[in-house]
Amino acid sequence: MNDPVFVYALSTCPWCRKAKQYFEENDVVFEAVDVDLLADDESDRLADEAFTLSGSRAYPVVKIGAEVIVGYAPERYAQLLGIAT
Amino acid sequence: MAHEARSAALRELFAPLVGALGYKFTPDQELADFLLEQEAVLEETKGAPYCPCQVRTHRREHDMTIVCPCIPYHRAHFDAMRRCWCGLFVHRDVTDPGDLPQIAASELGIEG
Repeated sequence: MNDPVFVYALSTCPWCRKAKQYFEENDVVFEAVDVDLLADDESDRLADEAFTLSGSRAYPVVKIGAEVIVGYAPERYAQLLGIAT
Repeated sequence: MAHEARSAALRELFAPLVGALGYKFTPDQELADFLLEQEAVLEETKGAPYCPCQVRTHRREHDMTIVCPCIPYHRAHFDAMRRCWCGLFVHRDVTDPGDLPQIAASELGIEG
């Protein structure tokens, strides 16, 4: 079983969409949230959570198991998930 | 495109600014159009054409650093990637933006 995958995304960010698309196309079970579409308090909470994990306000922030990747990085995702490239 | 006129205006506004910084619009027209439309929406709903790929904090000193074009605030990081974070702009000598990955500032040893 793969490590759990969570995507912190922004609805306005094409690279966030590409990250989610990558996991869909590779049949990876993942959860994702568009932080900017949440109500204010929840949005701030998730944004702070992503910042605590990544040290960055740049998106997407992808958590694969204990690893945190900032940005659209399909080769890193594949490496961590054991997907052949 | 619902915000076509404002997107076009932003394109005209940004071109000379980023040109002076050594950057140009990405040659990926579809990406540029999408990002400019998102910025037009953010300007209308949030008050400024914020970067579509960076989150606002509601702290002015931070949020002003992600108003497009945000290159001056992230110069070392973007120069190292040869693109801005969202990819709307690339270094002026770039012909194939597909070769330019997003790399976190921390991975480059740069303060983001």
